[in-house]
Amino acid sequence: MFEILLADDGIVAVEGRLDAAQAVKAQTFLDGVNGQCVLDLSRLEYISSAGLGVLLKTHKRLMGEGSGIKLINVNNHTHDIFRYSGFDKLFEIVPADA
Amino acid sequence: MYQKYKRDFGELKNIVRMTEAVFQELGMNPELRNVVDLATEELFVNMVTYNTESNEDILIEMVPHALGLEVRLTDYDVERFDPTSVGSVDVDAPLDERAPGGLGLYLVMKMVDSIHYEYRNRQSKITFIVDRK
Repeated sequence: MFEILLADDGIVAVEGRLDAAQAVKAQTFLDGVNGQCVLDLSRLEYISSAGLGVLLKTHKRLMGEGSGIKLINVNNHTHDIFRYSGFDKLFEIVPADA
Repeated sequence: MYQKYKRDFGELKNIVRMTEAVFQELGMNPELRNVVDLATEELFVNMVTYNTESNEDILIEMVPHALGLEVRLTDYDVERFDPTSVGSVDVDAPLDERAPGGLGLYLVMKMVDSIHYEYRNRQSKITFIVDRK
């Protein structure tokens, strides 16, 4: 199961498993986002390199336009993946327990 | 437990079900699930993406190991490609030098406790072990 949707408060909620089978769905959604983008990852259970690629591609596009992606409510497992990937140096990240 | 999977990303959900069943059967720590899922997905996706000449299904085996869990992926009728020989990724590079792709195998090497590759009779077999601790 994977869902990505825009909540009423303008925050993008990402839920479930963002794997290689779901990367196209995530990329299609994020390609339609403009301006500062806040992704709530509190319900993201799993992310693989395919999902990381989606985040990186979108972040680079938005940074080029003067904004970018902020990741909030990042759980420990996802944070570990971001650290191993060096994404903690590229993105503004707010851990789940912050 | 073992199962063959078609060369299709849509099989990932079925592979996850297999991992779930194995973890339940062996009483493995659920916190290790994402490590096993990630390593298995990255290696499976790599086979599907780069071994495009083969139409054979990919065999995945998950068996108990003295240290935890041993996972084997076997691809048939393929050229040799050793994922353990892939170069490192510069994870300290600035954003404008980073590009999507290339992280999968790097993450596998970082997260599993050991990994081994063998190639024989046009079969690629990758074995990794995840420590239960």
